[in-house]
Amino acid sequence: MERLGGVMGGKFLTNTIPVLLGLLGVAITNLPFSIFGSWIPSPMYALMPIYFWCLVRPDLMSPGWAFAIGVIHDVLSGGPPGIWAASFVATYAVIDRQRDAFAGLSGWGAILGFATAALAACTAQYLIYCIYMWRLMPVSGSIKEFAVTSVLYIPVAFLLAWIHHRFVGPLRSEI
Amino acid sequence: MGNGTWRISRSRGGAHLPLVIVAALAVALILIGKAQSSLFDRARAGIVDWMRPALVATRTPMEALNRWVGSVGEIFVVYQENLRLKEENARLRQWHNTALVLQDRIKRYQLLLHAVPDPSISSSVARVIGRASHPFLQTMILDAGTADGIKPGQAVVDQRGMIGRVFLTGQRTSWVILLTDLNSRIPVSIEPNTDQAIMAGDNSPMPVIETLARGVQLHEGDQVVTSGDGDILPAGIPIGVIVADGPRYRVNLFADQTTAQDVQILDFKQPPEHPPAVSPGELPVTAAGLPPAVAQTNQGLPPPQLQPVAPKPVYKPPSVAPPVQPAPGTADDNSDSVPDNGDR
Repeated sequence: MERLGGVMGGKFLTNTIPVLLGLLGVAITNLPFSIFGSWIPSPMYALMPIYFWCLVRPDLMSPGWAFAIGVIHDVLSGGPPGIWAASFVATYAVIDRQRDAFAGLSGWGAILGFATAALAACTAQYLIYCIYMWRLMPVSGSIKEFAVTSVLYIPVAFLLAWIHHRFVGPLRSEI
Repeated sequence: MGNGTWRISRSRGGAHLPLVIVAALAVALILIGKAQSSLFDRARAGIVDWMRPALVATRTPMEALNRWVGSVGEIFVVYQENLRLKEENARLRQWHNTALVLQDRIKRYQLLLHAVPDPSISSSVARVIGRASHPFLQTMILDAGTADGIKPGQAVVDQRGMIGRVFLTGQRTSWVILLTDLNSRIPVSIEPNTDQAIMAGDNSPMPVIETLARGVQLHEGDQVVTSGDGDILPAGIPIGVIVADGPRYRVNLFADQTTAQDVQILDFKQPPEHPPAVSPGELPVTAAGLPPAVAQTNQGLPPPQLQPVAPKPVYKPPSVAPPVQPAPGTADDNSDSVPDNGDR
């Protein structure tokens, strides 16, 4: 079946899918209900599309978009401004520098690759918070957030891969 | 799984902001946010107000799902739980009767002493339509806002005790910072010696006691209530009991913020305190038999209108039901006696 991206007029829509999924991730993360209970932080759903399309289509998931998704995350989460934006940009920089290594991974390796990115995001967030509050923060929340995000990437990766194959596809110049 | 089979795109296009500029923007945003923490408040309140119908609509199925997930494990312990609840119910009936007797006694003492009665505190009831849990942030969203008279700083309680404080209000919604949140600081008083301290959240289920006076020894089971210092919260709201945690003390909260569905928002407004009115006969000069220096003191200004001091409002729990007759064989015949502390 022809991709939506191949249809005139649908290209703009397909190009916005990664960013829209990032925003959807922000909304789900900040949905004020948690099936994990209040003592397990919400997973960083927004990081999943950022990581995925930063690797396979960085033209659709640029640092600016990662920053914008982070700013919206800051607005919705109720925390201090800029923390999530800086965390996502820092994670983007890590992924961008190691793109060849991350993109060459498959199977469980790909999950470990994402876990590395999630670790970078949680570490960046933790450090920024420590500097922001100017004291050593408890680390248990970040560890839980890292663990639950990494585990949930396994089913979400299949969904993102399907969406990429079905709607987005590779860059036309590289086909 | 995932990205192993993708052709890696190298192109980023020319219109995108370089990473360095974006990183600088992020740092600038943090610094601006640090200087003006209410930067996003209006946007937050507006977005949550806009999302309110969706939050209310999704509340019921999500709560049902949460209850169902939580009840799966409870099926296996329902018999023991039932026995425990029956026993607890019998103990609570004893306490209920004791509380009523003591309440009457306090009223009698107040009449004898001509004590100023505690002013009542009005309250609004709101439903919890959301809970946010992040590593460094624990908040709750209520379906009442400025249109319902809710203001930042008001205390939020459930039937067991205090849950948190309102920190941001929209038109129809309000955000509550929970007592367990990292940014929560509450002045508390620890019974029975009314030791003053600050209770600070650290994102763990039990907040920690800070800023306790040197040499003060607390004991497990001591009750923690709001002190009312700073005129931010009413005094006497029950919070929890002291639990030792190594060299520190923590507070085991009465309220369960994870299951609270309907909460009360206390409308506490401490009136500005004025010095008591002074009559000319009470002035030291007049008392000494000298005429008051009217020309020097007035100088064309009207005399200050002074108000009497208003008593500090104390939180009173909702009115209690008529006395419950103790079950035969379970209640103490002498209802004036107080059960020992081990029953708390």
